[in-house]
Amino acid sequence: MKWLLALVFVVCGCAPKAVEPPGSVAGQVKFAGQVAKAVVIDMEQDPQCKKLYPEAPREEQTVVVGPEGTLANVFVYVKSGLEGKKFEAPKTAVKIDQKGCWFEPRVTGMQAGQALQVTNSDPVTHNIHPEAKVNREWNQSQAPEDGPLSRKFVQPEVMIRVKCNVHKWMRSWIGVVEHPFFAVTGGDGGFEFKDLPVGTYKLVAWHEKLGQQENTLVVTSGVKARLDFSFNGQ
Amino acid sequence: MKYLALVALTLCSCKQKLVEVPGPLGLPPLRVERVATADEIALGKKLFFDTKLSIDKTISCASCHNPETGFADARKVSVGVGGKTGKRNAPTVLNAAYWRVQFWDGRAGSLEEQAAGPMGNELEMNHKPELLMARLAADPEYGPMKLTLERVLFAIASYERTLLSGNSAFDRYTYGGDKTALSSEAIEGFKVFGRHCVICHTIGPKDALFTDEQFHNIGVGVNAEGVLVDQGRGKGEFRTPSLRNVARTAPYMHDGSLKTLKQVVDFYVGGGNSNDHLDSQIRPLDLSGRERDALVAFLESLNGVEAK
Ligand code: HEC
Ligand code: HEC
Repeated sequence: MKWLLALVFVVCGCAPKAVEPPGSVAGQVKFAGQVAKAVVIDMEQDPQCKKLYPEAPREEQTVVVGPEGTLANVFVYVKSGLEGKKFEAPKTAVKIDQKGCWFEPRVTGMQAGQALQVTNSDPVTHNIHPEAKVNREWNQSQAPEDGPLSRKFVQPEVMIRVKCNVHKWMRSWIGVVEHPFFAVTGGDGGFEFKDLPVGTYKLVAWHEKLGQQENTLVVTSGVKARLDFSFNGQ
Repeated sequence: MKYLALVALTLCSCKQKLVEVPGPLGLPPLRVERVATADEIALGKKLFFDTKLSIDKTISCASCHNPETGFADARKVSVGVGGKTGKRNAPTVLNAAYWRVQFWDGRAGSLEEQAAGPMGNELEMNHKPELLMARLAADPEYGPMKLTLERVLFAIASYERTLLSGNSAFDRYTYGGDKTALSSEAIEGFKVFGRHCVICHTIGPKDALFTDEQFHNIGVGVNAEGVLVDQGRGKGEFRTPSLRNVARTAPYMHDGSLKTLKQVVDFYVGGGNSNDHLDSQIRPLDLSGRERDALVAFLESLNGVEAK
């Protein structure tokens, strides 16, 4: 016990000045409006893709709303307020799979410099093409059974639209930021950023069809702040 | 004027006169320095199929250029003596007699020069010419012929010059006046080919080699990290291969990375793989599913009939 205390002292002693314990923020993204009808996808370009849906053709719903009006596939991130702070990119890769002639997931968030792993689980050839503007644009063919690709985006860029050059209906989005304070909402529309340093931030919620919203937030030490976003129909 | 005539004379005297041998339907005449005798061709054929050419007597030219698979190798990359693998897929030797330069990167000039390559290559036959010639001299079958390396290479090359393959459904349709030779699907594919492929895989008014014999980077051999792993001629450029008999010679591309013609078509539809030196002709193609299938059907109509 004594030994532990000593250690804490040493650690504190090293730090140039005492850092205030961080706060956090949590919230929910909601949708209030009329959801348009899902679009039936015609996979005429590739009969092999069509075959993957023997019962009924695949439908696309870009506005995915839960029973409580919660909105999924929203990329929420800290847009400003973290300037000058450095956050190392995680060693683990973020994954996008091409499955059912569809990108899984629809929206991906990652840190600049983090690895992106792309796999092809389909019996057809895909050609993933992130249409990056700030980062380098690239595309790569992946035949069935080809191994995973591993790439990086070195600059922050929100958002990068991703298409497949072989199947025009395939779409996905990647948000690249320089820090770990981002999230993609699931069915419950929720997001949470833990351990956010004390300060004032601009948070943005982005949706591929509904556009984006910006909100300012003050984070105080040890407090869990709340911030909700609400999108209206198109 | 006098001076010009002199230059012309000099040029003529140092250039050997080439003999023209007519090619099968759809192929141009073949120009050769000397027409080989039947014995020389028979010797070349024997050597082509003889495993004695390799150091451990396990591998012949035909091991990697198998007549069953269109004189190409069905394996992704070839396997030489002692199970050693190279990094490239063996192309067909059918019609190789026409190429100005040999190999994916064009590093050999003639078929004679080319044939010396695999014999000496440690990943292939690993047999130095001196050792090979000593073995042939001591061999009861070859010994009495008093062969020289030059004659061995000429014989193999001369046999290869008989491996001409034309007279495909495409040739009968285009050059033979038989409008029923191609299916309507293949004809539709022919049109798509004319829009997107013929610029490199050339078709002429009288004959077609399906290659411009130029070197291009079409984005093959870009690894998972986006790096070109084989520079080929330089900058990832490889010689445009002929497409004759292509349905018989899977897998495809210099690295054997594409397994089927459908995969090849999808590769082109996708615009290949981006890299620093991608040919400007290679970009995503907007083709319907029907057009993609038609293109495959057209490629399948290029299977020829071997002369003789
Ligand atoms: C171990 C497998 C192997 C053996 C044995 C082999 N080859 Fe090849 N051959 C290849 C590969 C691989 C290439 C392509 C190499 C390259 O382009 O770098 C090739 C290329 C060629 C080419 C060039 C064709 C073109 O379109 O450019 C010819 C001709 C050829 N070989 C003939 C022969 C002859 C003749 C022999 C026997 C003396 C032989 N090969 C033995 C694997 C083999
Ligand atoms: C810019 C020139 C160019 C264009 C345009 C082009 N090709 Fe090619 N093609 C090549 C080159 C070069 C290769 C070999 C590339 C390599 O292995 O790196 C090749 C390889 C191939 C092969 C593999 C052949 C084999 O034996 O491995 C096929 C099949 C093929 N092309 C078909 C097509 C079709 C179909 C089109 C039109 C959709 C097309 N090409 C358009 C240059 C071209």
